[in-house]
Amino acid sequence: MRALVRTATRPYVCPSCQLGRLSARRRFASASTPSSASPEIYDVVCVGGGPAGLGLLAALRATPATSKLKVALVETQDLQKARSWSLDAQHYSNRVSSLTPSSVSFLQKIGVWDNVDTARVQPYQEMQVWDGETGSRITFDWSMETSPFEDLRTVATMTENSNLVRALLSRIAESGDENLSIFSNTTVSSIANGSDIPDGPDLSAWPVLSLAPTTTSSSAQPPKQIAARLLVGADGINSPVRRFADISTSGWDYDRHGVVATLSLSDLDPVHSTPNIKTAFQRFLPALGGPIALLPLPNNTASLVWSTTVANAAYLKSLPPRAFTATVNAAFRLSMIDLTYMLRMERPSATSPTSTDSSSSSSSAAVDPHEDELTWRLQHTPQPRKPSQLPPLVTGVQEGSVASFPLRFRHASTYISPRVALIGDAAHVIHPLAGQGLNLGLGDVAALAQTVEYAATHGMDVGDLLTLERYAGERFATNAKIGGACDVLHKLYNVPGNGPVAWARSFGLDVIDAVPFVKGLLMRGAQ
Amino acid sequence: MASRRALRTLNHLATRRAHSTSSVSANELSHFSALASSWWDPQGPSRVLHLMNPLRHDFIASCLSDAVPPPPPSASSSAPSPATNPNTLRYLDIGCGGGIFAESLARSISTSPASQTATPTRAASITAIDPSTTLIQIARDHARLDPTVDAHLRSGRFEYKNCTLEDLLASQQTLPSTSTPASAPTSEKYDIVTLFEVIEHIESTPSAGISPQSFLTDCLRLVRPGGWLIGSTIARTFPSWLVNQVIAEAPWPIGVVPRGTHEWQKFVNPGELEGWVQEGLMRSADGRAVRAGAAALEGMRWKCVGVVYFPGFGWKLVPGSESWGNYFWAVRKGA
Repeated sequence: MRALVRTATRPYVCPSCQLGRLSARRRFASASTPSSASPEIYDVVCVGGGPAGLGLLAALRATPATSKLKVALVETQDLQKARSWSLDAQHYSNRVSSLTPSSVSFLQKIGVWDNVDTARVQPYQEMQVWDGETGSRITFDWSMETSPFEDLRTVATMTENSNLVRALLSRIAESGDENLSIFSNTTVSSIANGSDIPDGPDLSAWPVLSLAPTTTSSSAQPPKQIAARLLVGADGINSPVRRFADISTSGWDYDRHGVVATLSLSDLDPVHSTPNIKTAFQRFLPALGGPIALLPLPNNTASLVWSTTVANAAYLKSLPPRAFTATVNAAFRLSMIDLTYMLRMERPSATSPTSTDSSSSSSSAAVDPHEDELTWRLQHTPQPRKPSQLPPLVTGVQEGSVASFPLRFRHASTYISPRVALIGDAAHVIHPLAGQGLNLGLGDVAALAQTVEYAATHGMDVGDLLTLERYAGERFATNAKIGGACDVLHKLYNVPGNGPVAWARSFGLDVIDAVPFVKGLLMRGAQ
Repeated sequence: MASRRALRTLNHLATRRAHSTSSVSANELSHFSALASSWWDPQGPSRVLHLMNPLRHDFIASCLSDAVPPPPPSASSSAPSPATNPNTLRYLDIGCGGGIFAESLARSISTSPASQTATPTRAASITAIDPSTTLIQIARDHARLDPTVDAHLRSGRFEYKNCTLEDLLASQQTLPSTSTPASAPTSEKYDIVTLFEVIEHIESTPSAGISPQSFLTDCLRLVRPGGWLIGSTIARTFPSWLVNQVIAEAPWPIGVVPRGTHEWQKFVNPGELEGWVQEGLMRSADGRAVRAGAAALEGMRWKCVGVVYFPGFGWKLVPGSESWGNYFWAVRKGA
């Protein structure tokens, strides 16, 4: 909590102290030092070709005032693979994001959404969230504010990251290649301040990047030098751009992993389910270290995000498919005590974890101990009165889709430095329990693109601190607030048992659910 | 609120040239010279001035949306013809100081001359003058930090001149032999002349025939028919005294401008300014400072809009506030 407070109070550093901090180091190098040859000059250089970096490029290219800026993007991975990404309609990537309506409308505004394969996205209109310890429940939907004559408003839209990245790339390709350089398969080997060119501009305060191809075949050519009027760090949690600007981060590791998987569901119960309404389910499991969420995808599939302890995550990943699906079903239905027991059961020893995927059909006749345990324990567990409050049963897991990633909290002490701006994970990494990570990144993109547009139409230098402080001013507090809220929720829902904390959080949830005004306020805030 | 630039202009004018037509006291000069090194520091004493700069562009854009100065009649010049290139306007910034406005305008000059799209400022070139050698040097040094601006400086589309307004007028009147002494030839005049935070620092010395009015007349002489003279200043009211003298110049952390920046007595109300401008138009129509009559006011246009600084949010255009605080003003010379 102390670190959180420190992060939240950062913007109030007095101006003279900030100045002292800004002019600190300004150097990042992993290999060579830049040569003295004069670099090629770009207006905006974006390091990192993920959704945030590509989003910024697409937004700049789509806006008339900024479409003529000379822009470059540097990405280590092969973007050609991302361009040609494709999966059949039954299979979905396990890296899925829940885009808020404001994220989607931003993507529509910059012409990206037209390039998204909308057959592969799934909007949902309702969200069921409950406490696994106390059973307290909250339903998020827009029914309170929707007239009976219109469709229920969307809470969020599930989109595969690959689908979004492919759409961003094709939107950028649509804008032509004038004033645009995309350096794919390229690493930034160093960033340093430029030099004062005799009989030319003084670039001594400009970041100059040395680019090197990742493939060694073309290593004969010297590293390319590019100077950036504005260097954008969209390069993730270990951002080299952030290191160059000497911007510190604070934060912690949650000591939790997020287990993801693509699941197939049983057919919906036609009696209890409302047609055309898709629901996301999230159950907090205080005894297991975090919430489990089931987010709808098209074709009766769903995406799983289960935040849990590192040991539990390792256990889950080692389970054969049938045991895995049984455990997921149990996690939405059984009591904490039963669940804790199931996660300590001996793993099926007949088959090794790696070979289970292929041999699962042969062993299907045998009774899976986890399935057996679930069936028996369900008979002794009271279930909610309304079946629509529970997700449909999971029937299978897509082969090779079970994976996990560490959960962390990071917040950069500032998002800007002269000629440097940080966006997305380079600026902030938050707990995924509200699915806000990518949305915050897209919020950064929208704000930075708007700032650059304002600068371009008002004779401002897009890399100047006076320009960039508009961006930082708009985003820093917002991101700190949402990141902090997710952190508090995580901590609140990690207190096991039925003590005062559990009582208080359940009371709070019940109140919010019962008072329409408060809930409406929260939902608008989440947009 | 943000007028050091002009002050310094006139300070130097007074000290450097004894015979000058301007007059500013020497202690004001030393006050602003002390600020020179922090001119471009975004957190420094000129911060409020930097924050105002984008609004100057907004105001210029609003003037241009009212009326774009017509292209010069001489189509023989080698300049790109306005039929293909809409960005043909020649700017003059009087009292450019460290170049906050001049540099931002130079940045808006299109680098590709073949461009068909109109930029917000429609600028083709800018000349910026200031009598202070120190400030012109600061401006030139800073311009080198931006390759775009540096290229404009080298190509001559952007020019810093270390001279006074009177020097400029004199050089224009002597240069072309064909011109009449009454006015500079049209080609040497400017489509837009800017005078940001300058007029409130003109000291009135009737003995030398110097007044804000005579200064404005000189400025108007450099505006082409159909062109604009655009500026900003502060109204002389009780709120502006409270805001600019008491609050803004208070010690840190309340104050945002250095002490001694403003003299409330020299602030100019919009009504006074409009009167001076009208008289200036009539006088500038006749080089010998004889009233030219109402004919000089035909086609004239007067614009005025207030701006308010909200700490933490920056400057905002607030129509109506011109009568009690900072405001932008513009006058268009009849075509």
